[in-house]
Amino acid sequence: MSEKIKEILGEDAEVAFAERRYALISEILPRILKGVRPLTRSDLLDKALLNKYLGIPIFLALWWALFRFTFDVSAPFSDLIRMFLSKLGEISRVSISNQQLASFVADGVFGGLGGVLGFLPPIFFLFLGLAVLEDSGYLARAAFVVDRIMYKLGLHGKSFIPMLIGFGCNIPGVMATRTIDKEEDRILTILVNPLMSCSARLPVYVLIGSAVLGGYAAAGIYSMYVLGIVLAVLMALLFRRVIPYFKGKPSPFILELPMYARPTLRGTFSHMWERGVLFLKKAGTIIFLGIIVVWFLSSYPWEAVHHGDNFLLENSYLAMLGKGIEPIFRPLGFNWMGAVALFFGFIAKEIVVGTFATLFGLAAGGTGEVIPALRVSGIFTPLTGLAFMAFTLIYIPCIATIAVIHRETASWGWTIFAVVYGLILAYVVALAIVGVGGLFGHV
Amino acid sequence: MIIRVAVIGNPNVGKTLIFNNLTGGRAHVGNWPGKTVEKKEGKCLHKGVEMQIIDLPGTYSLTANSIDELVARNFIVEEKPDVVIDIVDASNLERNLYLTLQLLELEANVVIALNKYDVAKDLGYEIDVKEVSTLLGAPAILTVATTKEGMEELKDVVMGAAKVKDGKRQFLISYGKRFDELILRLVCVLQKDEELSSKYPITWLAIKILEADEEILKLVDKSPCKHEIINQLLETKT
Repeated sequence: MSEKIKEILGEDAEVAFAERRYALISEILPRILKGVRPLTRSDLLDKALLNKYLGIPIFLALWWALFRFTFDVSAPFSDLIRMFLSKLGEISRVSISNQQLASFVADGVFGGLGGVLGFLPPIFFLFLGLAVLEDSGYLARAAFVVDRIMYKLGLHGKSFIPMLIGFGCNIPGVMATRTIDKEEDRILTILVNPLMSCSARLPVYVLIGSAVLGGYAAAGIYSMYVLGIVLAVLMALLFRRVIPYFKGKPSPFILELPMYARPTLRGTFSHMWERGVLFLKKAGTIIFLGIIVVWFLSSYPWEAVHHGDNFLLENSYLAMLGKGIEPIFRPLGFNWMGAVALFFGFIAKEIVVGTFATLFGLAAGGTGEVIPALRVSGIFTPLTGLAFMAFTLIYIPCIATIAVIHRETASWGWTIFAVVYGLILAYVVALAIVGVGGLFGHV
Repeated sequence: MIIRVAVIGNPNVGKTLIFNNLTGGRAHVGNWPGKTVEKKEGKCLHKGVEMQIIDLPGTYSLTANSIDELVARNFIVEEKPDVVIDIVDASNLERNLYLTLQLLELEANVVIALNKYDVAKDLGYEIDVKEVSTLLGAPAILTVATTKEGMEELKDVVMGAAKVKDGKRQFLISYGKRFDELILRLVCVLQKDEELSSKYPITWLAIKILEADEEILKLVDKSPCKHEIINQLLETKT
């Protein structure tokens, strides 16, 4: 019956009724409100920040400022951490007599895990910036600005909050969709949430960007975030059109805008700390485990890999695995190292970085730092580097996110769908980047 | 006689404070039947009359889109409280009056409490309470829940409103010629279904049908008038 009425009256009858009620309120208001309310500073800010035309450019500009800040300010801190850890690696290599144990500590622990920890500063600074935006009251306004577009595109306005949270981590992002009332709107939001570039991807962007994009590193990283948003919107639009389950319009919602406030030092730092510590915990558990596996596979069979004084990575189990899956990635221009990095990255995307760090650390005898080592190795051109970043952004969400998607959708169907469409989309986008770049004469 | 009073309002308008002021903070807390939404009930004795105060969930509107809104709306429609106190944030009338309009359309016996009047004054507003009453056809008073200002007056007004329950005039919003005509036609059809028309305000029912409200359509689906309603809708299409 509901379908029939919508068919007869058109989709927008409900909106038309709501508009009439608000029109009536605006007629009544001047008759009951005497005295003019002076414009407060908050109103003036809102006039600019929520402006129909200025709102979006201001949002994008602030976002850009956030990433420049994250990238530039964190660089010296990252260098310090890496230097410190590689020193520790060298010391342990010299002082441990057992060769295999020395390699494990130097290459696996200090090289691989250290490679990941070097990206702690950008993550902390990203969360610091986000906390400032959130505590000042701007983030809620960003939701308001974006909602106008999202609603037209068929995404529920409330989905913006889970999306924003997804920038930190997709897991709370997926869980935050619980605030969405309609099941269809909710599942749609869950499906596109992994496209929001979570902080785990940031180390990969910073690594590849710094190694091969030169002066365009920050722009390349920023473009990944924008790409994620654009793809999320496009996919939502596509799913709404193509999958019968999602047909129909999202229900409108009211968003309460908090007052602007000056962020407090304490509040901001505790916000940053809470989220940043999650990364540290993850580094100590799942990432560490993943890196041990990578170290093991790349160091064994021991005799074949450590041939006399030569280190023959080509003989390792990891190389066998990598070369097995390399053909799939050849059209994208990734070699077998890129392929295995992505393979293990599905456990947690930081492991992509950890894999590179372990591989280059082993090859260089544990002295090389991962960014220059990657640059020198020449396994990525700027173009394939960008494609690799995009692939990392889009392909399978990490294992923990998959588990949460399954729990929240209560369906293996949607879970598998999320994984499969991610893989296909990642491949298509990476291929498009390489292809389009090729047209313009880049390689 | 016990007067049954429901308290409703947008989130963050001071609804809980007013509920506590009215009941002295003593409340029976439970759940709405079959729902995970909290239900609070308290008593208020004013000038020898007992009032039972029921706290409804805070909502912005009364659609079928969320459990909170449904709980609030079903209570008003099915339990028919004698008076519904609509607590309005006086410093943010534009958003808050939307719920007020919906309550009036629902033909609830509304008393409007313009709360946070102090905040509104600080912002430079002055509110013409009489004009609010005249325009909306429901008694309105100014309150400041934090200082208990206007609480005695609120109780007086609620008691007064409880007496005039049946003599209320209907509040009609014009939705433009096309929809107004349609609403009238549907009202004519719906009147024939005695079960529906005795339980629900008919004009509201017609509006909700046009809004394709899922809960209401479920009801109409069972009505013998179903086909006639669809025919009326189809007629306007051509």
